[in-house]
Amino acid sequence: MVDGAGSSIDVHEANGRGSLASATIGTSVRIVGIVLDSSVAAWLAAVGLQEGEEVTVLRRAALGGPLHIRTSSGGEFAIARELAAHLDVIVVRGANA
Amino acid sequence: MSAAAVTKESTASERCTIALVGRPNSGKSSIYNRMTGGNARVGNYPGITVDVLEAELELPSGTRAVVADLPGLYSVEGAVERDTDEGVARSFLDRLREGTAEKGRFVVVQVIDPTRLALGLRLTRELAKANLPLIIALTHKDILASEGRDVDVARLESEIGAPVVLVCARDADAKATLLAAVDDRLRDRDPASPRATFDPAAVARAVVRDVSSSAETKRRRQLTERLDAVLLHPVVGPFLFIGLMALVFAAVFLVADPVTGVFDTLIGFAHGGLDRLLGKGLLASFVADGILAGAGTVLAFMPQIVILTVALELLEASGYLARGAFLVDRLLRLLGLSGRSFLPLLMGHACAVPAISATRVVRDPRERLTTILVLPLMTCSARLPTYALVLSTFFSERSALFRAALFVGLYFSGIFAALLASFVLRRTTMKGKSLPLVLEMPSYRMPQASVVARKGYNAARRFLRDVGTTIVIASAALWMLLSIPMPGVSREPDAPPIESSVAATIGHAIEPITRPAGFDWRIDVGLIGSFGARELMVATMGVVYGVEDAEDDPAPLATKLREAKRPDGSPLYGPRTGLALLAFFVLACQCMSTVAAIRRETSSIRWPAFVLAYTYALGYGAAVFVYQVGGILGIP
Repeated sequence: MVDGAGSSIDVHEANGRGSLASATIGTSVRIVGIVLDSSVAAWLAAVGLQEGEEVTVLRRAALGGPLHIRTSSGGEFAIARELAAHLDVIVVRGANA
Repeated sequence: MSAAAVTKESTASERCTIALVGRPNSGKSSIYNRMTGGNARVGNYPGITVDVLEAELELPSGTRAVVADLPGLYSVEGAVERDTDEGVARSFLDRLREGTAEKGRFVVVQVIDPTRLALGLRLTRELAKANLPLIIALTHKDILASEGRDVDVARLESEIGAPVVLVCARDADAKATLLAAVDDRLRDRDPASPRATFDPAAVARAVVRDVSSSAETKRRRQLTERLDAVLLHPVVGPFLFIGLMALVFAAVFLVADPVTGVFDTLIGFAHGGLDRLLGKGLLASFVADGILAGAGTVLAFMPQIVILTVALELLEASGYLARGAFLVDRLLRLLGLSGRSFLPLLMGHACAVPAISATRVVRDPRERLTTILVLPLMTCSARLPTYALVLSTFFSERSALFRAALFVGLYFSGIFAALLASFVLRRTTMKGKSLPLVLEMPSYRMPQASVVARKGYNAARRFLRDVGTTIVIASAALWMLLSIPMPGVSREPDAPPIESSVAATIGHAIEPITRPAGFDWRIDVGLIGSFGARELMVATMGVVYGVEDAEDDPAPLATKLREAKRPDGSPLYGPRTGLALLAFFVLACQCMSTVAAIRRETSSIRWPAFVLAYTYALGYGAAVFVYQVGGILGIP
């Protein structure tokens, strides 16, 4: 499985692809794949994180802690980096857009 | 069936249930508070450890109804465990549907925050799929109105096929609006089934246009963003977090103290009155030193319980608790815990009893249980008198620095033991997947005073009822052990009466077991006495050595302990006895109140028994180790 600390997505490249865990702070990304157990994926969808959802990365906690994200449907969440590493995303808007 | 006939039927005196459901932070608690006027009792549902608050009220039609406030949930479909908030809410709904909980009918009121309508409607769709009798209550009507907007209620109703009401929990008429809707729904004997096929996002777009870009929402979001920029700042954030935690800790420690002092004085008065009334006999002693002392212990905990509950509720309701958890999550995750267990673990340093009830903020059931199981290892304030006695008895000649270092070492031994225990537990007994960490970060908001006050009151009442009774019973039992003479045992004429007590007999019996740790029967009696509360160690040892009021001035007792001799003239205790005793006190769960609190929070006797077994085994092992190694190193 992709490690959360992997290289970050190049936001200058249109449609840069990678895991949510490696997205740069400030970028907006769209979830395109969830590589998880179906029950966990179903729970995530109920929370508001499913394929097609647009997510903005607001900040990361220190020492490899969770990510603070905002979904386009209006929720803000802290999501563990290990879990975020299982969400495949493409960049919709770069950090400075 | 005519409308009149239907109305008549439903006004019969049957009781119905109104189940409030909603996502976490949807405004459900405010609605509950508005509906019930702050009344609440904790519903008694077997096997459910998460509180389901409920209150009774009368519908406009005269029907009696019970309103139940279920824990927040995201989904009723996902495979969740029984002990989680969602699992509890789900089994509650299942039970309602099967009709086993309450005879009569029920209505499910789903509370939705219209600024997050699409998310709320996902749950609506699941509830519709489960074919539950549904009413939708949209909260924050005031916010929508201030933006000059409105939800198209009629359109929403027709899209989802269930009645919808728009309310504001701060308005007095919210209750009437909601109850009228419930009445209508109950009266409707053949309601249309809610539709389970709509697309939540599309419906949300159709009925509320673009709420998130409106001025009011923008202002609120900006406020949250600005606060987050400071409170979650990579450097400033952790410092503020530590400062805030220290403040809560100080409040529990310092504010609770004077209040506890007042209770102590009151108990003292009652004690004096009893002495005059009953004389100095065994009965008077039982009532005063057994029952009344137990009641005093219970009262001493109350201020701490209330202050901690109120502080936690303020942190939770303001939206900060989720932020704190975000900041320290990583650190605790290394140990198999999460950010949410930080505060209970910190509180354990004041007292394990309120800290154990504070574990309710931990959502994951396994993590919560692990936190409860390791909390007794934290160095609570009740250990301090014993530590002080041992230090002044055996190390008074040492430098202040040495004693301070020993003290700090004792604190860190407790923390280290707890972390190690949780690490081991999470890999053995408590093994299993943690809930995936997706924590909602709610917008900051002002906590409602009435809700906070109600939580504090409920916590106090529950503690009195569930833990208080156990403590009084245990206190009475301990009194018997320490005061009732063992039949057939005689003592020297000038020896204190405790030497012929049941406890002394037990002490003599277990002396061979505790000798490798350097404990003789007198220390064993002290250990039995201090099971009531650790600080009783000093008083019990005082009784054994015939020193009065040792708990107020331990110096004479310290001298006696230092000078105690074996028949051959060698000193009875040395510094290594002291060290072994300290090692034992760091680890052993010498506290009936903690045991009672664990019993209540886990609804079992298995876990308190487990805590007793493992902490005593560790404490004994450590004491023997320290005493024996001390002997090898030549410590007297």
